[in-house]
Amino acid sequence: MSSRIRWSGAVLGVLGIATTLVLHWMVFFWVPTERTMGVVQRIFYIHVPAAWVAFMAFGIVAICSAMYLWLKDERLDMAAASAAEGGMLFTTIVLLTGPLWGRVAWGTWWTWEPRLTLTLLLWFIYLGYFLVRSSTENPQRGKRFAAVVGIVGALDIPLIHISVQWFRSLHPAPVVMRPDGPSLHPDMLATLFVGLGASTLVFFSFFLFRYGLERMEQALAHREMVAEAAPRPEGVTS
Amino acid sequence: MGYLRQMGAIVWKDVVVEFRTRERIAAMGGFTVLVGILFNYAIDPTVVEPQGIAAGLIWMTIIFGGMLGLGRTFSLEEEEGAFQGILLSPIARDAIYLGKVVANFLILTVVTALVFGVFALFFGLSFGNHPVALAGVVLLGILGFVAIGTLFSAISSGTSMGDTLLPILVFPLMIPVIIYGVTATTTLFAGLPVTEVDGNIRMLGAFATVSVFSGAVLFRYVVEE
Repeated sequence: MSSRIRWSGAVLGVLGIATTLVLHWMVFFWVPTERTMGVVQRIFYIHVPAAWVAFMAFGIVAICSAMYLWLKDERLDMAAASAAEGGMLFTTIVLLTGPLWGRVAWGTWWTWEPRLTLTLLLWFIYLGYFLVRSSTENPQRGKRFAAVVGIVGALDIPLIHISVQWFRSLHPAPVVMRPDGPSLHPDMLATLFVGLGASTLVFFSFFLFRYGLERMEQALAHREMVAEAAPRPEGVTS
Repeated sequence: MGYLRQMGAIVWKDVVVEFRTRERIAAMGGFTVLVGILFNYAIDPTVVEPQGIAAGLIWMTIIFGGMLGLGRTFSLEEEEGAFQGILLSPIARDAIYLGKVVANFLILTVVTALVFGVFALFFGLSFGNHPVALAGVVLLGILGFVAIGTLFSAISSGTSMGDTLLPILVFPLMIPVIIYGVTATTTLFAGLPVTEVDGNIRMLGAFATVSVFSGAVLFRYVVEE
């Protein structure tokens, strides 16, 4: 079972790396340069797919957490934790690439752009998820706590999104660039889709490896427990 | 025992304990008065008009002060396994949660009234002329805050990090309360008509509803042994 997970992870990983290489070739050599923003717009093809994966991962965390509380299946908790770890990684990528782009496009490192703000808050919700998980003496309890944090976070994300959007419409920022309209050049759209594919593949590869690791740890703990419980053969001391 | 009676028993117990010890009210009340004094020196009134930023200061004081009290929601029960006793009693888990929320809400309402009084006194504020709408905004806002805070207080008191974890869990989710609460309060302080804050009240109500409901459903998983 766990070798099948590892194999799937490896296959997705190879595909993900290959797609990422193709993506980088497209981003650097193929896709046309955006007229108003110039070359810096090319971060878009990394930034947007990372954001997509970050939010998708949080959806997986919430669904797996809710099902874990309901069905009490350890595998669901492992899946939620693995998705949260991948999600935190991609949220960090969003938060690093956003300001790099914003410095050139908006003229400032940080702006309270609603989606950027939402991503920062998402990062903190992930942080809470891991802190709760790791700071309980009883691991079962930590898993339930983390699941509750994941579910409440996911329920609040839409409300946070609406409120930061609304706040923005109330206080327009001084230097704002319109987000890319729907009329994206077809080559740009193609690059974006390759980017989405690459980050999704990389994410699920991480996810499967992480999940497989959790399964192996659990199996090992189980084996140790059985070995301790089993009577030792005569004459063997340890 | 009916559901409301069960809930009422928890509320009554918490309010009576608070009334007798005055532990949390004293801590939160002292905190808010002292914060008011510190704000007076932190903000130069010749540069900033206190009336203009009062709503933000008041809300942040309520949130910070409230964290002090919310973090101790379950501290009394932790001693000598009293919480086990509550869990063993034939009270539904969600009734325990809702009872705790109501008790915390009542306590925080007292503290909030104190915050408004102290800030009015210290900074000579005018609260506009719509006391009912203002009360609606503030009470709905703190209900949402208390609902989230009570649930996460049960979580943080079960971890080794304790109260220090609570702000990290609660603050990211307080964005809607702060945004809609502060803008509505500013609008009402300025004496603008109540219709201006209709949308805010609806959003604060939505946040409070989602928070109370999710807390009531999820609380049983937090206290499960």
